[in-house]
Amino acid sequence: MSTHTPQSRPWALKVSGLGRIYGDPSPASLTGTGPEHGTAVSPSTGAVVAAWDVSFEVAPGEALGIIGESGSGKSTVMRCIAGDEAATTGGIALRSVADGTVNLCDLLPSARRRLRLKDIAAVYQDPAAGLNLDVTAGGNIADPLTAVGWRSYDGIRQRAAELLERVEVPLSRMDDLVRTFSGGMRQRVQIAKALANDPPVLLLDEPTTGLDASVAAGVLDLLRGLLEETGVAAVVVSHDFGVIDMLTRRVLVMKHGRVVESGLTDQLLEDPQHPYSQQLVAAARG
Amino acid sequence: MTTVTPVQTPVRPGTPAHVPGVPGDTVLSVRGLRKDFTLHTIDGRTVDALHGVDLDVRPGEHVALAGTSGAGKSTLLRCVYRTYLTGSGHIWFRTAGGELLDVAALPDADAAELRGQEIGYVSQFLRPQPRRSVISIVASAGVARGMGRADAREAAAAALRQVAIAEHLWDTHATVLSGGQKQRVNIAAGTIAPPRLLLLDEPVSALDPANRAAVLDLIARLEETGTAVLSVFHDLDAIERLATRVVVLGGGQVLATGAPGEILHDPNLPLEVAR
Repeated sequence: MSTHTPQSRPWALKVSGLGRIYGDPSPASLTGTGPEHGTAVSPSTGAVVAAWDVSFEVAPGEALGIIGESGSGKSTVMRCIAGDEAATTGGIALRSVADGTVNLCDLLPSARRRLRLKDIAAVYQDPAAGLNLDVTAGGNIADPLTAVGWRSYDGIRQRAAELLERVEVPLSRMDDLVRTFSGGMRQRVQIAKALANDPPVLLLDEPTTGLDASVAAGVLDLLRGLLEETGVAAVVVSHDFGVIDMLTRRVLVMKHGRVVESGLTDQLLEDPQHPYSQQLVAAARG
Repeated sequence: MTTVTPVQTPVRPGTPAHVPGVPGDTVLSVRGLRKDFTLHTIDGRTVDALHGVDLDVRPGEHVALAGTSGAGKSTLLRCVYRTYLTGSGHIWFRTAGGELLDVAALPDADAAELRGQEIGYVSQFLRPQPRRSVISIVASAGVARGMGRADAREAAAAALRQVAIAEHLWDTHATVLSGGQKQRVNIAAGTIAPPRLLLLDEPVSALDPANRAAVLDLIARLEETGTAVLSVFHDLDAIERLATRVVVLGGGQVLATGAPGEILHDPNLPLEVAR
């Protein structure tokens, strides 16, 4: 057993007091928003409080889920961590960056973008958001490799082949344009690209939503294997309890931009506390 | 039965090794445990489950919970495993490293670790993860408790043989197994590298007589490894055979506690009759 004090527990990603407001960012915008008011839109300023006061840590080898319906703020949280959008307030730290002492929100956009090469990777619901569809599978994977200094053509091809094999894409497709790939295959290539430089933190935003059930099952199995084997710290954003149940051991429930409950994933499913969590679980169980 | 060196817990600063009222030799000491459920989706009503339960389990001891259906037996096991959150009270668990942790108040991440490594749970129904092979379910329980991958696979094979799961089923998905087979896979996962505390919730309910006898033998041998067991069985024969002590629950409270010979033959206690 190796439990740790909160201070000593190893973490790869730490998010503290994260907030994102679209519109007037003054405190007045918070009043009248959140789950108890049934809205994320400020009645006084009209600002949208997409996410507020979100805090969590993820340890190496651990997967944390964020569940909630559309508009709950879960994808906003992910985009802020990925650096796709700027947080209004709060702290985001990666252990791999200056041993966690730097708030990523304070970095210049160019420095922030560089982190996406080696320190943090994201897989989006829409493969077009993470891939260039008009480039080959091998070319897409080569992108993050050359960006961190890989120069040998053969070395890059070999690494791309390893990654494609890992995500079970036939090597014969390596030089085909991603546009010619099926949805499930595109998602696999996106995962391969995300893993190219072995990032310590992986963000998964609805990674199987929109895929046929059998294809989604294959991608989920792949992700489960990768999360178990690589020691990566993962954040899995999904509206689907099946995905969260399969990939994560802890979960946050979000509604109207706020975290309403957090717990062990099976505890959330068996003994949800918040009225909204109970509704979600009841709906998932049918 | 496979034995492995227990994973040693470093004693963490600020964690008590002694708590007043908790004996120094228990693995589990439940104190004043209360649990109710507020059903927000059904007019917000509250359902009471446990009203102040005290209970101790020592290494190598098998404490069986008895009582009629609805007495709170499974609820108690689930609170100890943290599948249910505790309303109030304490669930003191002594780790291999000697620290006392209150499972009821432990941060989620710590509870998750404790579970994998030191507290096992075998439920009545295995809810297997989809598309996962039988042997990988059992082996990964061993890995979580500190075995290397190769050793875990070997131990998993031995454990599956012990519960008579035919070898040609080992690499099939557990979801396709029968109820009784799933239950035996569950037992194999629960007893590979036995944890310090094993929670058993009707682990033989779906088994035929021959398999039931084999699994009861396996559970009986846990005593030798020093594993503390807290169990729920619906048949009194199993309790009589395995338990070193019986705790009778009724209306969410402890009604009686004692040796199986005394308790199970007391006509005044509300026991499920399944003889």
